[in-house]
This record gives sequence, structure tokens and C-alpha cells, in this order.
Amino acid sequence: MAEVIGSILILLGALFHFSAGLGMLRMPDAYTRMQAGTKASTLGNTLILAGLAFYHPGWTLKLIILIYFVLMTNPVSSHVLARAAYRIRIPMARETTVDALRDARKPWRGSA
Amino acid sequence: MISTVVLATGLALILIGLWGMLTHRNILRIIISFSLIGTGTHIVIVAIGYVANGTAPIIDRALSVADAPSRAVDPIPSALVVTAIVIGLAVTAVMLAYAIRLYDSKKTLSIDAFTESKW
Amino acid sequence: MIRRASITVAVILFGLVFASLAANHVGHQSLPPLAKRYVELVPQDLGAPNVITGILLTYRAFDTLGEVAVLFMVAAGVGLVLKTRKRRSKKSPETQPRQASEIVQTGAQILVPLIAIFAAYIIMNGHLSAGGGFQGGAVIASSVLLLLLADPQQRLDLDFLSSTESIAGVLFVLVGVAGLILADGFLDNRVLPLGEFGAFFSAGAIPLLSVLLGVKVGCELSVIIDRFRA
Repeated sequence: MAEVIGSILILLGALFHFSAGLGMLRMPDAYTRMQAGTKASTLGNTLILAGLAFYHPGWTLKLIILIYFVLMTNPVSSHVLARAAYRIRIPMARETTVDALRDARKPWRGSA
Repeated sequence: MISTVVLATGLALILIGLWGMLTHRNILRIIISFSLIGTGTHIVIVAIGYVANGTAPIIDRALSVADAPSRAVDPIPSALVVTAIVIGLAVTAVMLAYAIRLYDSKKTLSIDAFTESKW
Repeated sequence: MIRRASITVAVILFGLVFASLAANHVGHQSLPPLAKRYVELVPQDLGAPNVITGILLTYRAFDTLGEVAVLFMVAAGVGLVLKTRKRRSKKSPETQPRQASEIVQTGAQILVPLIAIFAAYIIMNGHLSAGGGFQGGAVIASSVLLLLLADPQQRLDLDFLSSTESIAGVLFVLVGVAGLILADGFLDNRVLPLGEFGAFFSAGAIPLLSVLLGVKVGCELSVIIDRFRA
């Protein structure tokens, strides 16, 4: 029974990894590609490690530490890449309407 | 059977890297293709050393000293690949340094701009 | 047009050669004779449970020394190629390093100690389980990279790194020469007592060699990474 749950979780993790790869191929510009790659692959990693914990219950503490480590490093590295890309002015896709970073950096010139 | 699948994967990676190196015009993509060829070669070398139903050549609770000569995988290709991975990193660093200097001289990353060595 | 056609022909020919290689591949059923000798000899003579580290640091230790020399040459070469760039010639906002964002600074505060401890664990476990000097050195260099990303104004002390790396290399060769004097050959690990099989301080000089190798590779890769800053 525990093996069935573990197998379902690992299969879900593999599906998310596949969607990460598919997203990186099909997305229009660099920022959306980075977003697809990081979010989906981090979740895929977490699900695969959690599914492995059902196969080997003795490894649960080590796998939780691994999941914590993956959750700490993947988003930070993707954030650094995206900030660097924004700084050298890689163009955004044409459908983009909101640039929150530019709005957050401009000094506020309103009343009140 | 397992070793044939892994060997085919490594050879496919070498082929993809070779195609990428010949087709792209951007220097950074050529460097990534070199790195792919390196990774594919490492996989091929490790796959050659696989023994049927073998396990890693590390003696711990799973593999006792008496069992080791009959059940362990060949350790020599793994030792070669450990060295090769670090050398691959160093070669990539040299290639990237050259790419930086090439960009400094012509302000472009396309390899078509550098025609001094052509006939 | 000619170019694309010739590329396609070349890739297809290589593909045919590789396909014939993969199709005619017959896996081993048992270990080849040399590998069998190594797998028997390493736990018995050297007292190291990890056969690969035993091979890399005793039987094929000369290759390891050669690879250390190659890494040193690469560090020197990268330094030579990148040294004569004009440093920050334009004062435009793109080329001035600003402060890194808060996410990276906070993440680096938590992660750099973790990564350093993990690297030390990998280096010290080289003779017991998977690991060793090279792998640990690369992980140390990645923690230095994270430190540089979190604080772009950080100045690495390049003199300290270079001298540490040289001292580690010299000590490596001195341990090898001690093997010539006190034991059977160059870089023989029986200069230190073999100890109990599987204990932390066992397998003679292999942990010491792993530590020296890890320190040297880590410093070298950190110097290479530091050269790439603008």
C-alpha cells in the first residue's frame, strides 16, 4: 500500500519535470522560460523525494533535509538569473502589460 | 540490457552535442554543445564498465568484502570519469574566458564576425 | 545550403557509427581480471572501503597528481587571458555592481555555512563512501560563488588563496615522498597506520591526501571564478 502511494507521487513528479521541459521549449521569452523551468522542476523534485520516502521509511529525515535544501537553493538561483537578465535589458514578450519592478523602483510622484 | 540503454543515451548526447556545435552561430551555444559532448562521453565510459546485476564498488553493509569480486561493478572507468569531470569544468572555464575576450574585441557574440582565419 | 547539407551528412554518418557501436555492445558478465585484482586488493592492502578512492589516491595516484597540475595550468591560463581587460572602464549603470537583492543576501547567509559543512563532509568521507577530494573541492568553490553573488563588492583575498593552494600542493608531494622513504613507493598510503576497517581515521594517508586535494581544488576553482568578475 505504501509502495502504491510512493509510485503515484514519483509519477506525478516525473510529469511535472516533463512539463518543465515542455514549458522551457514553448514559452515566448527568457523570463517566462525561467519561471516555467524553476517552479515545475522544484515541485517535481519535491514530489519525487517524497515518493521515495514511502519506499524507504528509514530515510525520511534525510529526504526532508534534501527537500529543504532544494527549496532553498532553486528559487534563489532562479531569482539571481532573472534579476541579471532584467538588468541587461533582455526584451520581454510582446504580450506583457505590467512591469512591476520598474514601477517599484520609480519614485512616487503622486499627491498624498 | 541496462548497459546498452545507458550507452545509447550517452551516444545520443554526443550526437546532439555534435549537431549543436556545427549548426549554431552564437559562441555561447557552441560552448554548451561542447559541454554536452563531454557529458555524453562520461556516460559512455561509465556504461562500458557495467557488470550484469552488479552494484557500486563500495564495501559497506550492502556489499561484503567476500562478495565484492563477484558482484561489484568495474571501478576503473568510474575512477577515470571522476578525473574527467573536473577537467571538463576547467576546459569550459578556458572556453568562456576566450568568449569574453572575443566579445570585447568585436562587440558581438556571433561567430560569423570573426573571419581572420578564413581563407 | 552546402553547409547545412554537409552538416547533415556528417551527423548521419556519425549516427550510423554510433548505432553500430550500441548494437554490437555485449555487457560484461563478470569483472575483467585487472578490475577483480583491484577490488580484492584495495580493502585488503590499503584498508579503504571505497575502491574508487583507493585506486585514485594510491594505485593511480600519479594520474591524480597530473590532473592537479592540469588544473593549476588552467587557473594560470584563465588568469592570463582575462587579466588585461579594462576593469570597469565605463561608468554606466549597467557595469557598476550594485548591492544584491535581499533574497540573495538572506539566502546566502543560510546557505553558505550549510554548503561548507557539506563540502567538508564529502571530503572527509572519501575513503568510506562516495566522495573524495575533487568532489568536495568543487562544492567549496560553489559556496564561494554564492558568497560573491550575494555581495558583489566583496574582495576575495587572492594572495591567501594562492598561497594556500601552493602549500597544499607541496604537502601532497611531500606525503608522496614520505611514502618513498617509509613505505613501498611514491604516494603509498601506508605511511600512516591502517587502523580499523571502516573507521573514520583509517586507510592510512588517504584521508590526509583527500583533505589536501580538496583544499587545493577548492582554492583553484575559487580563483578561476573570481577572475570572471567584471
